[in-house]
Amino acid sequence: MTRVMFDEKAKKSSQAEKSASEFFDRVATLEAKHDMPIIIFQDGASGAYYTKCSLLASDAAKLCDLNAKLDVGSPEGYRANRQLFLKHLTYQRMESDAVKGREFNDIIVEYNTEYDPATPLKVWGGQHRIRAISIAYSKSNRYHGFRVYFDLGKDQRTEVALISNTNIAVSNDTFDRMIEETIFGGILRKWCQKVGFLGSNEDFPDVGSRSEKITVKRARSFVINFYLGRERGKKLKTAKLDQHVYEPYLAETGLKGGAGITPDPNYDRIMSTHDILVDSALLKAGERFLALHNAQHRAVTDPKTAVKNMKSYRNKALIESVLCGWSYVAGLLQSHPQRLNNHYRIPRTSRRIPDPLNAQEMSKYKHDKDDPTYRGLGTRSALKDRQRIAQLFLAKSLQENVLIDPRLMDRAVSQVVGLISLSEGYA
Amino acid sequence: MPLDFRDYLAYAKKYLSLAEEAAGRREDSRWLLIPSIVLAWAAVESFVNNRCDDLSSVPQEKFDLHERAFLLERRLRFSDRGAQIGQFVFEGKEYQTQENKIFFLLSKMGARKATGLKGGDLWRRFRKFKDTRDSLLHPKRGKPADLRPQTVRKHVQTAGQLIQEISKRIWKKSVDL
Repeated sequence: MTRVMFDEKAKKSSQAEKSASEFFDRVATLEAKHDMPIIIFQDGASGAYYTKCSLLASDAAKLCDLNAKLDVGSPEGYRANRQLFLKHLTYQRMESDAVKGREFNDIIVEYNTEYDPATPLKVWGGQHRIRAISIAYSKSNRYHGFRVYFDLGKDQRTEVALISNTNIAVSNDTFDRMIEETIFGGILRKWCQKVGFLGSNEDFPDVGSRSEKITVKRARSFVINFYLGRERGKKLKTAKLDQHVYEPYLAETGLKGGAGITPDPNYDRIMSTHDILVDSALLKAGERFLALHNAQHRAVTDPKTAVKNMKSYRNKALIESVLCGWSYVAGLLQSHPQRLNNHYRIPRTSRRIPDPLNAQEMSKYKHDKDDPTYRGLGTRSALKDRQRIAQLFLAKSLQENVLIDPRLMDRAVSQVVGLISLSEGYA
Repeated sequence: MPLDFRDYLAYAKKYLSLAEEAAGRREDSRWLLIPSIVLAWAAVESFVNNRCDDLSSVPQEKFDLHERAFLLERRLRFSDRGAQIGQFVFEGKEYQTQENKIFFLLSKMGARKATGLKGGDLWRRFRKFKDTRDSLLHPKRGKPADLRPQTVRKHVQTAGQLIQEISKRIWKKSVDL
């Protein structure tokens, strides 16, 4: 029988003691083998209980689960961790070291039998190390150091997942995905699946820039801007729509503050006041935006068109300033149906401009006010670009069948520059 | 891509540099100095006109009718007959001088009063630059333009400095020249 003790900084918990005993009864450890006392620690920041112990590589390989889930109650099997980089040189070195007998330490797992009980050690930190020792244990079966957490709540689990990955930077997209799952469940993912941004069983990508898919940040930005625009549009008469500079919003990656990890405050507010899965106007906006993205993608990838098949051209609609500006205008025009219809129309194309967003000329566009380093319209996520793109789509919505050509770009951008300059002048 | 004020100014400098080289070789350089002055003036004009265009792109409700007429360089006439009787209507062209356009921009968009510019050293140099440009484009016997490389260099510098001054006042930022 393993002797379980609490560290002096840990508050005694019968549940933690029970879970730890169950773990040591089920899993062979070096500590149990030598009849050593087991100490339960408690994390001061999150209150989570854990112990430190050593497992033989062959046991760890059988018991570890690399597909750990943040929401254990969800029947859907979305994996929370980032993908494994098995071709990365750092990993290959790790694997060859494991074969030579390298002993790894501080592998972070959660003991959890609520799903896939055959592999109860859910890995949150050290998935590459686990993979390496699983490959290597037939040649070198050694003990490795583990930190094993018990009875984690959803927030605690997210925090463990995040702090366990700080030394191999988790991308902001993975970070957003974890926070999204923890705080809001799978609502945004379901919305994206419903609209068609994601396939029926598809999750948001780990790193958006590699996958060319919509990310959590972009999907959030789309939703936020639709509602921000809608609130603004309700207060404006149609004749006054073009007299303002609008400020589409870019969702922020969750911040870690005093109260734990907090999501973007605008997104938080919108998700707590709207059911995005049943809002038909938002769904329609999503579908029309997807139609624009698909049309752009098709036009750029079509070998018959003269547009260069560049990622930034084919995914022009998904560029943050374009996405935010388009969505804001979709929201703004909800109370102005004629112009909304025009906005929802895919821009006209021509022989000279075969892609609806005219990505090539957009990327060349520059106003006198821009620095020589400016990379063109709709290429960055900065506020300036979001304002300009919103004005561009707003100008496009004045008519039914509009070509996005340099004249329209110039009119829209000059208007933004003019309005901003006026508001800063004496008039 | 259309030329912007930076291009005009760069070409003006290029011509000036070629003129200085020619002068160094004791060759005639006037045929290089003339386009340098014209291009430097075009830089100022391009910058000022495009700022007026920025304002013209703003919804018309933001301006009084006479301000719109000024921006569009149209004449305003009171109509005493026909369908528009009793209204002011645009009629024909009424060109504005660069100076007036600059004052208008500064008073509408400027963070500092336009009066601060007139009377200063930069404005005095701008007037000289304008006189030289006028005497080249509207040549008259007995009023020869001062076409020494050092004088033209000052004019090209003045063009850049004036653009920079306007930019700082209306955009609160320096432009990269």
